Amino acid sequence: MASADKLINTDVPEKDVFALHFLQSLSNLRTQSPLNSPNKSIDRVRKIKKAAYVSMARAAGGTSRLWSRALLRRAAKDDNKSVRFSRRKRKVTWKISSKRKRSNQRAPVVEEAAERLRNLVPGGGGMETSKLMEETAHYIKCLSMQVKVMQCLVDGLSQK
Amino acid sequence: MMNSSLLTPSSSSSSHIQTPSTTFDHEDFLDQIFSSAPWPSVVDDAHPPPSDGFHGHDVDSRNQQIMMMPLNDGSSVHALYNGFSASGSLPNFHIPQGSGGGLINQQGQTQTQTQPQASASTATGGTVAAPPQSRTKVRARRGQATDPHSIAERLRRERIAERMKALQELVPNGNKTDKASMLDEIIDYVKFLQLQVKVLSMSRLGGAASVSSQISEAGGSHGNASSAMAGGSQTAGNSNDSITMTEHQVAKLMEEDMGSAMQYLQGKGLCLMPISLATAISTATCHSRNPLIPGAVADVGGPSSPNLSGMTIQSTNTTMGNGNGKLNGNCNGVTKGSSSIAVKEAVSVSKP
Repeated sequence: MASADKLINTDVPEKDVFALHFLQSLSNLRTQSPLNSPNKSIDRVRKIKKAAYVSMARAAGGTSRLWSRALLRRAAKDDNKSVRFSRRKRKVTWKISSKRKRSNQRAPVVEEAAERLRNLVPGGGGMETSKLMEETAHYIKCLSMQVKVMQCLVDGLSQK
Repeated sequence: MMNSSLLTPSSSSSSHIQTPSTTFDHEDFLDQIFSSAPWPSVVDDAHPPPSDGFHGHDVDSRNQQIMMMPLNDGSSVHALYNGFSASGSLPNFHIPQGSGGGLINQQGQTQTQTQPQASASTATGGTVAAPPQSRTKVRARRGQATDPHSIAERLRRERIAERMKALQELVPNGNKTDKASMLDEIIDYVKFLQLQVKVLSMSRLGGAASVSSQISEAGGSHGNASSAMAGGSQTAGNSNDSITMTEHQVAKLMEEDMGSAMQYLQGKGLCLMPISLATAISTATCHSRNPLIPGAVADVGGPSSPNLSGMTIQSTNTTMGNGNGKLNGNCNGVTKGSSSIAVKEAVSVSKP
């Protein structure tokens, strides 16, 4: 395992980073629409869920990860905001050019699973399979961290 | 002597990237090399690492400067062969390896390469121009085609396998050896986590009405029917009458108004959840716990039933770290009519 992680960096910040971002986003949500509790409350659910994802993306590294970047872009598009992305030097790998030629050599089993993953992981549409799996690993770590944070909050708040 | 057979450039005259045509002769080569006497013409200076078996190498200070670092694995044979066969015309090669490093210099330099191979591969400044990684990987494997596309393919496969191994440790139940099932597991786990986020964000609201409406929506979209319905059908065989009665009650209430059904459930200290989440939780947590019926109605309150009456909802892995004492407290909170839906551990389940 150590050898694998040496090449791929899948570190996520500590739990408190996620908690901080999430609480900030929640408080923003509250100040945004203080008395505006829609009847359906489904909008509230959606807003909270979106706030959860956006805060997770921010905590996980902002725009330095592909999935977080795509998530933020998607969220900003809904709000008609524009997100500023720092210009990053694209690492060009020669491997990609050969991908186009020999597309039939990909292991079909892996590829169909990769297709399903692409639908799940944000920003997965434009990624190579190996890059996709790297992003998935980071995404899973961040998701589990976010879930832990939210669960802690719920438990803490529901004690009467 | 056996040297002559090795010294004749058999197949690598055309390109330096070439594997020998014979694949299994390497074994013979290896034996030969290990048992043979010095290589006079080709080897400039070979200092074997302690673990290798090279003895008695004659340091030939002739111009032939293929300096080799014998490797521990079979790739050493490969490197040696290529080195020997294209004597003098060998371009510089740099073989970084997982297990060791091979260094082939073109200029005659008597290297003192008794240091570990990894450092040796990076030392000797200026002698070796490291070609692209792919070429060295060609050397690394024996008996495989050197067609650039297949090299790329192989590289790609290795990278994917590497990442899959890293993913395997993240995902619970990641001990599947089959690649396909492992990928399915990964996908399901991602879906499960996303569902958890959704459920938790639902529970953050106050009000059963919001949750219930969300669930009815979600139930319709997922085709889960009503989870209570499914739970009702599942508990048909359950001998515990109280649960069946509860189910019927809830089912009746659901037809009229979802909110009241939710409140009724919460009054009893139960919670409602989609089947997908319940099954996800049941598969995600350890199976050494009490048997789990993936139904929807969970018995959470301690006071209501000291034993489990056949139904448990187990909290996910994530809540285990939160401290079990808190969970007990929360159970009481739920029975008092708290409106938050939370997945709680049943009180009577013993924690590991």
